[in-house]
Amino acid sequence: MGDLKDVAVNRMTGKVCDERIAQMKHAKRRVIGNLGNPNLLFDYTNREIGTLPDDNRAHFKWVSEVAYKNIHRIVTRGYDTTELVEAGYGVCDVLFIDFQARIPLVEERKVLDYILLVGLEDGLSNPALVARLVARGKSYLTQAAGASVFAFGEAYGAFKNFGYMLEKYYNMIAEKGISAADAAALCVEECYHEDHFGIDEKYVKDPTPRDLLAYAEKTIAGKKELKYIPFLKEVVKAAQAKIGYVEADFMAAATAAMMDLDFTPDAAWCIMGVTRAFSAGAHVCEEIERECERDGFDTYGKTLTPKEWYDGPTDRPVPSLSERSGFKGGQAQTPEEWKKMWDRKAKELSGSGFAIDFVLDDARKVVHGKKK
Amino acid sequence: MDRKPLIQRKTGISYKTEEKTVLRGFDVRELANAGYTFIDGLYILFQGRIPAENERAMLDYEVAEFLEHSMSPSAAAAIGVMNGHPMLPAAVGASIATFGGAHGPGAQHGYMMKKYLDRAVLEHKTVEQVAVECVDEYMDAGRAVMGMGQPQHLDGDPRAEPTHLKQEEIGVVGVYLKFQRALEKRFYARRFAEGRSYVAVNMIGAGNTALSDMGFSPNAAWTIGCVTRGYSCSCHALFTLKKGRAWGASRNEPMVQMLDLSMIKYIGPEDREVPLQSEREAYAMNELKTGEFKKWVI
Repeated sequence: MGDLKDVAVNRMTGKVCDERIAQMKHAKRRVIGNLGNPNLLFDYTNREIGTLPDDNRAHFKWVSEVAYKNIHRIVTRGYDTTELVEAGYGVCDVLFIDFQARIPLVEERKVLDYILLVGLEDGLSNPALVARLVARGKSYLTQAAGASVFAFGEAYGAFKNFGYMLEKYYNMIAEKGISAADAAALCVEECYHEDHFGIDEKYVKDPTPRDLLAYAEKTIAGKKELKYIPFLKEVVKAAQAKIGYVEADFMAAATAAMMDLDFTPDAAWCIMGVTRAFSAGAHVCEEIERECERDGFDTYGKTLTPKEWYDGPTDRPVPSLSERSGFKGGQAQTPEEWKKMWDRKAKELSGSGFAIDFVLDDARKVVHGKKK
Repeated sequence: MDRKPLIQRKTGISYKTEEKTVLRGFDVRELANAGYTFIDGLYILFQGRIPAENERAMLDYEVAEFLEHSMSPSAAAAIGVMNGHPMLPAAVGASIATFGGAHGPGAQHGYMMKKYLDRAVLEHKTVEQVAVECVDEYMDAGRAVMGMGQPQHLDGDPRAEPTHLKQEEIGVVGVYLKFQRALEKRFYARRFAEGRSYVAVNMIGAGNTALSDMGFSPNAAWTIGCVTRGYSCSCHALFTLKKGRAWGASRNEPMVQMLDLSMIKYIGPEDREVPLQSEREAYAMNELKTGEFKKWVI
């Protein structure tokens, strides 16, 4: 073992980053490539080998506020799950317990049940299609059903984004001392173009979201104060004044109702994504039973793409490797040159990703948006 | 607004128009307004029928009890994925996809039961006879009898026997529970006779049996089981997102974290020098000749 001051010190900080390194062996290595460069942050030719020894902290445990189990019981939020079901509690009750650590009012349970039933199936929409496509590879049903949840994003099934939007403008009533109508108008003004706005013409002929809101109001009224359903109605009113005849869609109505049941927007997103995965399972079964039975499963390379669907660069000869030496690289040297290249690729090369904004404001709030 | 479907398919599950969404012939709005439940919806989705009240109660019991199971591969997957802070659905979808041949193999159990019940029909045997044959053939072949054994609940999954009892109590008993009861009896007896350790019924043996007697196909039952767990896994993912440390490797936590470097135990080849390109061909040829590498190939 060499002197740690020589081998393990960070050349920027002048310190050894972890005292456990002192307990480890070091191996002198010859210089390979750039690894002898003195500008590297530490000495690559004399690094410790082997895995890090234990330190004096407590051993790793799965830490959870949600649940534990032992050999004889499974407990969620303090309640034994077998005792719960033997006492007559059902799936909607356990959802409240898991996500909120409380037993819901009977009326709350009924409202959640209503939402889950109405949200169970949505025809040949994205989750069902994703599940069907995955199933065509003869994957496990669970892979296909799991993949269906991936379809939930910030446009399709944007329960989270819609919920946080509603919460933000609802909170302005107290924070800014403005009326609900003013907060709703501001919400419309600032958000009506967003993919997660949830109020448009989709459901003007289908009364399901209105029925859902009416049922929730009727069922919970007198039991607890509703905040988000009345505010959603204000937002719809403001949207109608600005845009014309629009209504809250199912996503908006379900989210507002779930928030009045005290579910967070994140929880609403998860619960609805999982709920839809049940029907994705049925779509998987049907895809296998009807489509794959007739056409066979999809094998790698089976699917063709017609040339008439192609609008990329025209067919061209492949240059020889010797010709490659004359090619220029793709590095921009100035910001102006970089900008020009970026815009050209965004315009000319679909699939390159340059036409999409990917904004990572906060590690906990990943925002994807199509470039306006 | 273009509302055309992305792919063309005939489907017997549902249709959706501007006016309504219809599931197996029922307008879902009318179902909800009439007081039907999400559990009823699962029967309509997978079986095209409204269940009897005791069937509804049985499925509600089972889904509610199956929903949360603390730390299983599915919850661990949800937590592991969420450590990277992707969008929540990534963690939730991954948790559902953990279900396979070891964790919640519902379809395998269902098809095992079907295989032997088919035999009962073809060979005019009783349910009890084919259950005994099932156990004997699986054990003779050294295969795991589906629905038996759980590595954490060594005295039997605490939910399992109560599920059997609930089926009997509320009258949702059919050929599957009879088969499963006979299977368990034979399984316990044979292991005892062979001096082997006690291995109890697990939640697949109990829950999947109940789902089968409720009329669900093996794949529908599998969907219900695995997707139900997705609810609680999303809860574990949310806890990780909101109250945990991203990455699971922070040295500032009082407890060693899941991905702390000290959690790694390496049992692969010893550390070795990287050969230079000039040494490469001879080095690689020597590796091929000695064949030492083969013990590491996976």
